[in-house]
Amino acid sequence: MNIIVVGCGRVGSELAYALYQSGHKVTVVDINPDAFANLPSDFRGRTVAGDVLTPDVLQRAGIEQADALAAVTPDDAVNAVVAHTSRTAYDVPTIVVRDYDPRKRGLHEAFGLQVVSPSAWGAQRIEELLSEGALRTVFSSGNGEVELYEVAIPAAWNGMRLGDLIDSPECRAVSLTRAGRASLPSADDVVQTDDVVLVSATRKGIQMLQKRLEQAKER
Amino acid sequence: MFVLIAGGGRTGAQLGSLLVAQGHTVHLIEDRTDVLSRIHHELPTEVIYEGDPVNPDLLEQAGIREAQVLAACTTSDAANLALCYIARDRYQVPRTIARINNPRSAWLFDEKFHVDVAINQADLMAKMIAEEMSLGDMMTLLKFRKGEVSLVEEKILPGAPADGIAVKDLELPDNCTLAAILRKNEVLPVRGDTVLHAGDEVLAVVNSANMNELADLLGRSPAPTVREV
Repeated sequence: MNIIVVGCGRVGSELAYALYQSGHKVTVVDINPDAFANLPSDFRGRTVAGDVLTPDVLQRAGIEQADALAAVTPDDAVNAVVAHTSRTAYDVPTIVVRDYDPRKRGLHEAFGLQVVSPSAWGAQRIEELLSEGALRTVFSSGNGEVELYEVAIPAAWNGMRLGDLIDSPECRAVSLTRAGRASLPSADDVVQTDDVVLVSATRKGIQMLQKRLEQAKER
Repeated sequence: MFVLIAGGGRTGAQLGSLLVAQGHTVHLIEDRTDVLSRIHHELPTEVIYEGDPVNPDLLEQAGIREAQVLAACTTSDAANLALCYIARDRYQVPRTIARINNPRSAWLFDEKFHVDVAINQADLMAKMIAEEMSLGDMMTLLKFRKGEVSLVEEKILPGAPADGIAVKDLELPDNCTLAAILRKNEVLPVRGDTVLHAGDEVLAVVNSANMNELADLLGRSPAPTVREV
């Protein structure tokens, strides 16, 4: 694929190199030519220095032949504008933007762009690792709005009905694993110590479940 | 009218003072501390909202939902474009006006980003300077239709083609009409038999493309012939 990466800072250089290593034709654009020093010396893609809001820079970057574009500069307005331009003026099929400042998430949402928020996601993940006990995140969808968690059933919950433990609309059990064998759970299943339940939950839902787990352990 | 201004630099702050003086409701958003300390001397406190204008939460605090006009005057073209887009798309602001900083990004300032009117400062200045250079004494008083049509004032120079000629005999360029003739302290109506004299000031409405021809007719004396000694 022909892929354009706009912004050659930490995220951009890392992304461009990874795409190059997977065999894509990569063009990196940055307003500051010194930024290309962030790329590893064995990177063999193209670099274009210039302002991406100008048509000649976009054309030099090969926007007309691009299959995908990632806008990952540290300026959210630039990311949103270059992404929207690529979509409306050049019909680039796949576009992803980086949300640099979590407070500007709403900007990217207004444009209806596919957005990744590394700082918000990173902070949430670190918080989870710091406070992690019987809960472990196994999958994160979107930008962490809904995540899948593994819950190890504590001894205090042995013999309880699953539907009484997990009963919030913000949190749902999606699988129950006992002695290495998984099944689709129902509310009436009775759990045993060391069962592993996979739950899909929002942030609010998992906080509620976490509180219950802590209370169970104290007993 | 309620006008929301993004960016309190020279342009935004000047616009803010102008609109406040005319009795309009103005909210202005700015995040640079040095700029803020300056505009706090120029504008009433209740006008100023501190923070990054591209932050939707702050736009809402500053009342974008009720704004009748958004004037995006920041020094970032990307920010001005993004602001116009969300102002219309998310908050249905009826009119959006944006400042273009880099003339090379001017191509984006249209319906792609819901920009109703784009003001290309550098381009306007450059054109005005170029005009002043080529048109000698012709003064542009007003511009209409995004600068396509102008009201100009020109003094008739001795020996100009129009000097001593009746209005009906003037070979006016296309897309041009005379509005008034100022002679000493009098305002003369433009009649066919009015004879123009050197020293008269003529007000004319003219298309930019025809301005040079008008200048040749009224102001410029014919190019001096080189005399060999």
